[in-house]
Amino acid sequence: MLFVWKMEWMCMPDKIFQFVLGCLCGLLVTPLGFVVAQTDNNEVEVNAVDAEVSELSEAELMEAMALTSKAFRSAASRVAPSLVTIESYGGVSAVQGRIGGIRKQGEGNTTGIIISSDGFILTSTFNFIQRPPVISVILSGGERHFAKLVGRDDTRKICLLKIDGLTDLPIPEMVDESKIKVGQWAISLGVGYGDTSPAMSTGIISAKNRIGGRAIQTDANISPANYGGPLVDVEGRVLGICVPMNPQSQAVGAGVEWYDSGIGFAVPLANANKLLDRLKAGEYIRPAFIGIQSGPNPLGDGILVNKVNPDSPASRVKLEAGDILLSINDNRVNDMLRLKQLINRFEAGETIRITVKRKSSGNEEDLELPLAPPPTNSKEPLALPKIR
Amino acid sequence: MGCVVLVCGNHLAFAQQKDQPSFIDQAISNSQPKMVKVFGASAGKVEGFATGIIVSKDGLILSSQGVFLDGRQVKVVLADGAEHMATILKRDRETQLSLLKIQADTPSFFELSEESVGEKGDWVIALSNAFKVADKDEPVSAMLGVISLRTTMEARLTKRDVAYRGELVLIDAITSNPGASGGAVVTPRGNLVGIVGKIINSSETNTRLNYAVPSSVLFEFVTGKASVTGETQPVLEQQDVEFGVVLFTLGGRNNPAYIDRVVRGSPAAKAKLKSDDMIVSIAGEKIGNLKDYAESLKSLRPEEEVLMIVKRGVEMMRVRIAPRLKK
Repeated sequence: MLFVWKMEWMCMPDKIFQFVLGCLCGLLVTPLGFVVAQTDNNEVEVNAVDAEVSELSEAELMEAMALTSKAFRSAASRVAPSLVTIESYGGVSAVQGRIGGIRKQGEGNTTGIIISSDGFILTSTFNFIQRPPVISVILSGGERHFAKLVGRDDTRKICLLKIDGLTDLPIPEMVDESKIKVGQWAISLGVGYGDTSPAMSTGIISAKNRIGGRAIQTDANISPANYGGPLVDVEGRVLGICVPMNPQSQAVGAGVEWYDSGIGFAVPLANANKLLDRLKAGEYIRPAFIGIQSGPNPLGDGILVNKVNPDSPASRVKLEAGDILLSINDNRVNDMLRLKQLINRFEAGETIRITVKRKSSGNEEDLELPLAPPPTNSKEPLALPKIR
Repeated sequence: MGCVVLVCGNHLAFAQQKDQPSFIDQAISNSQPKMVKVFGASAGKVEGFATGIIVSKDGLILSSQGVFLDGRQVKVVLADGAEHMATILKRDRETQLSLLKIQADTPSFFELSEESVGEKGDWVIALSNAFKVADKDEPVSAMLGVISLRTTMEARLTKRDVAYRGELVLIDAITSNPGASGGAVVTPRGNLVGIVGKIINSSETNTRLNYAVPSSVLFEFVTGKASVTGETQPVLEQQDVEFGVVLFTLGGRNNPAYIDRVVRGSPAAKAKLKSDDMIVSIAGEKIGNLKDYAESLKSLRPEEEVLMIVKRGVEMMRVRIAPRLKK
């Protein structure tokens, strides 16, 4: 009774019982060993399995469930050496539990992931809403080091810390985003509840290509307890870094209102080398902003520009009230949500091409529009200071 | 976790093709007769209902603390819909538990284990009457999740509440909802992990916790081994102590604890602390700001040496230092 399994099948919860059945059949003893041993095979034989499943005894099903728990624990312990506990000292005080209109973080420590053996650590910008002037990290072995903030990306809610003087730090394996499957197991981990051992929550990948293509979605619990921590697969490989997100807003705290709701986000990192290089170089990546107040066009296609903010990208290319925005990089825009979605795909500093029907001439024009960051007089907390 | 429930639901369907009851199904249906719905007084926005579990064959019921206990009557509805008036045997401020008694035979009940049941990553089923969805003889709602962490942590409902400092079993099924407290958290084999606790916020994360009060704590509470009256520990007379440092206070109490000046001849001077050092931790407690520093001093005794960690430049220094009685 030898079944051949396809790797991806193993990673889907709705296949895990078959997966475990395989283990029970004596193919392999542990789920992880199983996965490793079967990685090279690409064939699937399903028919035999379905017949087999209804034969499962209660004891076997019970065993199957216990094995999934074992797999979760094993996944957590695989990535644990690369997790750090982040402590902050000082920072702005919250007024009635809020900072700059954002629900403040708790008093506890937060989570980060080591991404290079020489001490670069990724975490979520949410963890620094209070803008602490001093940050330290505790490695999994208990050693404490001071960290400096190197770069941040507000479009992904992540930032890069660096601790100095270390080599050979353990870095986790990352899963390429293209290999991530909707429906596969996802385990979120974080040390935010104050224990040195990370808390875990399990679920599945709910969707990919969310938030302007920057995030994957999961129904595992995501909250301040694991923002900055990893979302891993059953083998303990990192699928993404947990962050608060909300497609409607790129404010640093937006998305925290959905904590532990079954709607959670993580930013995949396997192909993020370019991004990480920019952060290592000290870049501050900010969301894109056009600078128009607009609404649906009551007379047809496109978005009607109601007002152009002074000194904004829109005013620089001489957009005017009454102009109709028809498309962005050849994507038609007919409603506000679509406009937001399209803009969210870009970041400040990038240039988009827009097609506009001018009020003055009635002609359609193509314009190059260099995007800028949103003005700083918004309710957002200011940029984090560099750590001394 | 909603999707996971559905997924497992599919497997129940699998297993049931041959009319075999699945084990999750079995754990739930075996637990249902041991569950009760509790109704009592409400106060303003605070709901007057909760869930409870039967813990003896003669009508002992374990539930949570709450305003529903404060009215003239507490009504308990058994799984078969039978209603009984309950008397309150005891209630505890710290564990936020209550023990009720009804005059009825209750042959199905949960055994309370003195040992802890379940470890991180284990599947658990939470059963509760959250939002009082179930009425009369309707079964209470079941949710599936895993144990996130077994830990001790400080958490409180409001500033006035006594903070619970015992062990909590954090789970990832969302149980922090009105009426869920007093519900059962069981393993797929139907063993009791603990009962769903009251809605509390973690001071660590500023989020609502989903957790069970573990069975070992329940056992102590029911068997009377725990102090249940909220007895206070004999308080040592507090003495004001100091290290002999003046901290930078400009900018408010949320500043990190930077040393401005070290008093000559003080413990700090003997420990060779200097201006601009930042106090990172005292006796293992992190000093995040001036407020933490002031709190920390209150717990220290004169001439008792503690470990202090200090940041000097980018270096981390460990010093042994004993505070002196404040002059």
